Amino acid sequence: MTLATTLDVPRHSAGHRAGHRAGLRDAMGAEWQKLVTLRSTKWALLIALVGTVLVSFLSTNGVRHQSANFYKNFDPTNTSLAGFALASLVIGILAVLSMTGEYGSGTIRSSLAATPRRSVLFGAKAVVLGIFTLILGMVLSFLSFFVGQAVLSGGAPTATLGDPGVLRALVESGAFLALLALFGLGIGAIIRHSAGSIAVFVGCTLLVPLILHNVTGNPSRFMPVMLLGNSVGAVVPVFGALSSTAAFLLMALYAAIALAVGAAFLNRRDA
Amino acid sequence: MIVTDGLTKHYGKTLAVDDLSFTVTPGVVTGFLGPNGSGKSTTMRMILGLDVPDGGRALVNGLLYHELRWPLREVGALLDAKAFHPGRSARNHLRCLARTNDISAGRVDEVLDVVGLTAVADRRAGKFSLGMGQRLGIASALLGDPGVLLFDEPVNGLDPEGIRWVRHLLRRLAAEGRTVLVSSHLINEMALTAERLVVIGRGTLIAETSVNAFTAQSRSDVVRVVTPSPQRFVSALTRAGARPSVDDDGSIVVTGMCSADIGDLAARTSLTVHELTPMRASLEDAFMELTGDSVEYRSSDPAPLRGAPVASR
Repeated sequence: MTLATTLDVPRHSAGHRAGHRAGLRDAMGAEWQKLVTLRSTKWALLIALVGTVLVSFLSTNGVRHQSANFYKNFDPTNTSLAGFALASLVIGILAVLSMTGEYGSGTIRSSLAATPRRSVLFGAKAVVLGIFTLILGMVLSFLSFFVGQAVLSGGAPTATLGDPGVLRALVESGAFLALLALFGLGIGAIIRHSAGSIAVFVGCTLLVPLILHNVTGNPSRFMPVMLLGNSVGAVVPVFGALSSTAAFLLMALYAAIALAVGAAFLNRRDA
Repeated sequence: MIVTDGLTKHYGKTLAVDDLSFTVTPGVVTGFLGPNGSGKSTTMRMILGLDVPDGGRALVNGLLYHELRWPLREVGALLDAKAFHPGRSARNHLRCLARTNDISAGRVDEVLDVVGLTAVADRRAGKFSLGMGQRLGIASALLGDPGVLLFDEPVNGLDPEGIRWVRHLLRRLAAEGRTVLVSSHLINEMALTAERLVVIGRGTLIAETSVNAFTAQSRSDVVRVVTPSPQRFVSALTRAGARPSVDDDGSIVVTGMCSADIGDLAARTSLTVHELTPMRASLEDAFMELTGDSVEYRSSDPAPLRGAPVASR
């Protein structure tokens, strides 16, 4: 095909923010633009929304009309959040790819040429991804809860937002997804390759808990998906699990460590 | 203005760039010339702060790259043709970049127009050909209307028309007073585009010179003479001060005398000439000789070539 070109490069009237410099605000705007202009984001959103609510629907639907004994320690809130394992996976991978996708395609060099202060670039990514997944997490947790309670109301005990611990479980579960996303972003910055990063993320969150399940002391309770399913999302305490506060803080610590190591690597390594 | 001062970079045990110092001035296209793997890309990446030098530094307009207030408005770079996400459209790629330096969305449309991608701007860039990718890279370099431009092998993958356009665009940008550094491993391409040359081989500076001086140097006058009496012709030439040598096929290769003088000499001495051909060593030969030499010299003594102008060799 013929591409009509010109030699006349129009001048650009710049500098209406004279005295400033390209900073976090500019980088955040760009990161937001990057996030919403990728098809993978839309797919991840769709799968997270539909999948999570669907799993919540199926899980709550499956525990209706059971014996009274079954409902003795029944946790309607946590049951309605059953889809969060899927949400964790989808959002975590989205977060990983937001970093490794730049390395895989070479975009990282464009990004760093435009935002050479690497902590600004990484900070902008973390803030934008954090806010995006926080909102998504909240939508998912409340949506799952209301769908789940509606299903349960046809033949099982239900919970309401006013019940003790319910609101906390929903808010913390939503925020937990944002922490998982930041954890994934950190892993992506450390490993830089999509396949390897996704393997590590999925391994940490889903597979290792499975493998360590019967090991003495049950170390799997310290793994993200267990923190979420048995502690953060639980209103009725699960035997042997960490308290919800301890679990939430531990996940925050994981995310902070992954981000800090990722930032250090990004700052030190050639792009 | 770009100034590199003692730039040095190792990758593991490989010395990619070795104490490299040169200056790129505004107003002319400066060709950055060297064989593949000579350290051109590494040097450009260090100028842009993508790779951190082990020694020395590179300054753009007197500052380290990360110190620039609005990097894209001061420096535009085409580093490789595929520095964009394949799932994003050309327009969105440029819009993302524009946001980082507070550049308007209208400017994005302008540069798309300049590089001729307007019609395909909303297609996924992953579907682009190599040449279209280059154009997108050039658009991103022009985005901030910067005074300093770096292009790493910009004509790679372009069709002849595209190559001509890039050539003219680079000259136009330089004529507007911008600093333009273009890398290439093709000397003939550089001879058509650049006015100044920075030549490197194996990471070290071989020459910082003008294209004219470089070309003049390589235009050693060589004339091929075919004659039925080579021995007598050789002695006549030698007496006249030329430096003839007899080639394998019996023809005489003469240096130090132009074809007109050789013709006159033949008439004066009544020697028959069947063929008289002025030959020019190609720029490529000169370049190969220059960079090849640097490699040979380096193993024993790197000093004599360091920074020596071509004309003095």
